Amino acid sequence: MDSFEAIKQTYFQECDELLADLEQNLLMLEAGEGDGDTINAVFRAVHSVKGGAGAFGFEALVAFAHIFETTLDDMRSGKLDPEQDVIKIMLRASDVLVDHLQAAKGQGVVDEERAATMSRELEALVGGGSNEETAPLSGESGGDEWGFKPLMFEVDAPAPAAGLTLVMRPTATMYAKGHDAVLFLRELERIAHAEIELDASALPSLDALDPEASYLTWTVRWPADVDEKAIRDVFDFVGDDCPIELKRDAPAPPHQPAVDVAAMLANIRDAAGPPVVTEEEHEEKVASPAAPGGKIESKSGAAAATIRVDLERVDRMIDLVGELVINQAMLAQRVAESETGRSSSIAMGLDELEQLTREIQDSVMAIRAQPVKSVFQRMPRLVREIAGATGKQVRLVTEGENTEVDKTVIERLSDPITHMLRNAIDHGLETPEERSASGKSPEGVVRLAALHRSGRIVIEVSDDGKGINRPRVREIAVNKGLIQPDANLSDDEIDNLIFLPGFSTASAVSNISGRGVGMDVVKRSIQGLGGRISIASVPGKGSTFTLSLPLTLAVLDGMVISAGEQTLVAPLTAIVETLRPKPQDIRPIGPNAALLAVRGAHVPLIDVGVALGLRDTPIDATAGVVLLVEGEGGARAGVVADEIQGQRQVVIKSLEANYQRVGGIAAATILGDGRVALILDVDAIIASQRDRTEAKPIALAS
Amino acid sequence: MPAAAAIKVLVVDDQLTMRALIRSALQEIGIRDISDAPDGEEGFKTLLAAPAHLVISDYNMPKLDGLSFLRAVRAHEPTRKIAFIMLTGRADKELVQRAMQFGVNNYVTKPFSPAALRAKIEEVFGPLT
Repeated sequence: MDSFEAIKQTYFQECDELLADLEQNLLMLEAGEGDGDTINAVFRAVHSVKGGAGAFGFEALVAFAHIFETTLDDMRSGKLDPEQDVIKIMLRASDVLVDHLQAAKGQGVVDEERAATMSRELEALVGGGSNEETAPLSGESGGDEWGFKPLMFEVDAPAPAAGLTLVMRPTATMYAKGHDAVLFLRELERIAHAEIELDASALPSLDALDPEASYLTWTVRWPADVDEKAIRDVFDFVGDDCPIELKRDAPAPPHQPAVDVAAMLANIRDAAGPPVVTEEEHEEKVASPAAPGGKIESKSGAAAATIRVDLERVDRMIDLVGELVINQAMLAQRVAESETGRSSSIAMGLDELEQLTREIQDSVMAIRAQPVKSVFQRMPRLVREIAGATGKQVRLVTEGENTEVDKTVIERLSDPITHMLRNAIDHGLETPEERSASGKSPEGVVRLAALHRSGRIVIEVSDDGKGINRPRVREIAVNKGLIQPDANLSDDEIDNLIFLPGFSTASAVSNISGRGVGMDVVKRSIQGLGGRISIASVPGKGSTFTLSLPLTLAVLDGMVISAGEQTLVAPLTAIVETLRPKPQDIRPIGPNAALLAVRGAHVPLIDVGVALGLRDTPIDATAGVVLLVEGEGGARAGVVADEIQGQRQVVIKSLEANYQRVGGIAAATILGDGRVALILDVDAIIASQRDRTEAKPIALAS
Repeated sequence: MPAAAAIKVLVVDDQLTMRALIRSALQEIGIRDISDAPDGEEGFKTLLAAPAHLVISDYNMPKLDGLSFLRAVRAHEPTRKIAFIMLTGRADKELVQRAMQFGVNNYVTKPFSPAALRAKIEEVFGPLT
């Protein structure tokens, strides 16, 4: 059954949200921040998961959810205190519930033993033996033993659907024009079956009757909803010649604002007292002092209207808007090249179009923007599992969950964050004994934070562990031949060694971090997104990994430059300034390299044409322009180009998807004149130059 | 003998899944005029704007639960006589008895089949055609 399958998919989707909320609320309770509403929400989430599961016949899921729900019910009614230890069990139970749901989706297997243990733990929480009513799960009927009798619908009830009444008073003019009232009545009958009543009370006696006057009035009644417009349409062409009155019958609640719904509901709520469970007791326990009346209003006011849209549709729209931007730019260029002046109406219209296009683009991008919450929410479970496997005590603190970023970026954040967290717990944090010995709390804190900084999203993972063991890192790097034994490295440079391919500090390969993926892979995947990663570490105090990513992967503000025959785009975020160098500021070093003095500092000059293999010898920098660029970690260079064409927003087209990866190039775009331009990978260009000129044995990450 | 197609039903449940399931069960029974609401408060407002013959409402909902919703419906003249069927998550005697006190017409235990739902509706409206 198609629709059934569709509902099942809705169910899974809804469950994912419910379970995410469940975990969130449990974490709030664990932190002691929850109130009665939180406990209710937790209960409702499990209850809802169970309800749907029953409908689809997921027996194991129902059975487990039932046990979970029973325990939660006790907490809701105040029989079970929401203490930390209890909540910890419930958090693990919610993990098992997720496993059950995954199994129901056909995407995993439930660890039977773990689930059974969990069930027993939950059952143990419910006061032994007082668990009376878990048995009667089945009954569709079974009401009789409770003395329930269905109540027949009262037939004399007024028809709830408001009828519609039409009074029509044809005028003499209408008849004079040759219209016939009967035709209207037939037409009205056709819209929906109606009761028609003739009012002839105005008809005078025969001797007083004016044969050309109009005396009759009809009343037409429809019992149920009919389309008012269809009725008015019937009289459309007679207009004032046949005045009509159309009204909804009483009871006519729609336009009767007499009832103050909120106030009334508040009264009812107050009067309704405890809803089955003894909520009064319970509310005292978890004190939520706000008056119920005020609460309803504030809540309904805050409810935002949302719709669910297929991601594909949004993506299609983004693609189309991207094309629109390109098209608009092409059109603008054509007009600029043609004879029409700057102030012509076409040019002015185009300016407006450009502005609108920008706005549309921003709005569409905003649709895709999502809080990083969806990724962060998965992490507490991960942390619990790693903590369990390593025997460490960990508290995860998250910040900035509502920071928004493009959906594609969010999807790709998950793996790096997962890995950095594993790393922080496995390598960063000490065991509880070690921590106690060094005067720290046995429980380590791992902080996961998201924030916006200068047009990028920054994710920080920090721990309060032992920090990077620099002598050990250095030793490993030497042993693995990554650096020379006599290399003179700064602390920063040593820290950055861990990003080198093949580096792993774990003396025994643990099954947590040691999955064949090192920090080098994390770094590469971050760079693939146009991001950077850096590390700061203080021995004995802990480490902080910071990764920053562009907010969107779809558009980029760029500076359009030319080198030889090619048009290139440099990301504006990487450009510090542009300048035309004077001859005396250029210091040649060797035949093909030079340094540029900028405000007292020297930066290497890189001819972009040579770097990309477009030409063999660099052009004279004084004849061209220099873009002072800054790469990750603050490394600067002067990129020499022939000239600057302008600055514009470009739509990024993946080069890998359409062609293949090219060194020094991040992506491609289509310019206003229809030509393809390559977008520079500034970091790669700086790095390639450094390798060549400084001949360092390794490329350091900073 | 009321025609199923003539019955106007309001479905109130906080879960999209349950609303969709109930809707599909009602359609199988032959009921066409179905609207829905995510909680008692919205349900009550919907009833005031567009009255129905029958409300099928979940008990456990945010904002206004099923029992308070039932009380609101019974306490307000224009909605007083609307038939009300309560959905309960499990066989909950106490809840059913309280709902009965407040004048519930019938109750249905989740999960239910379309046939079971039909039987419950017929206990209220008489046999459906």
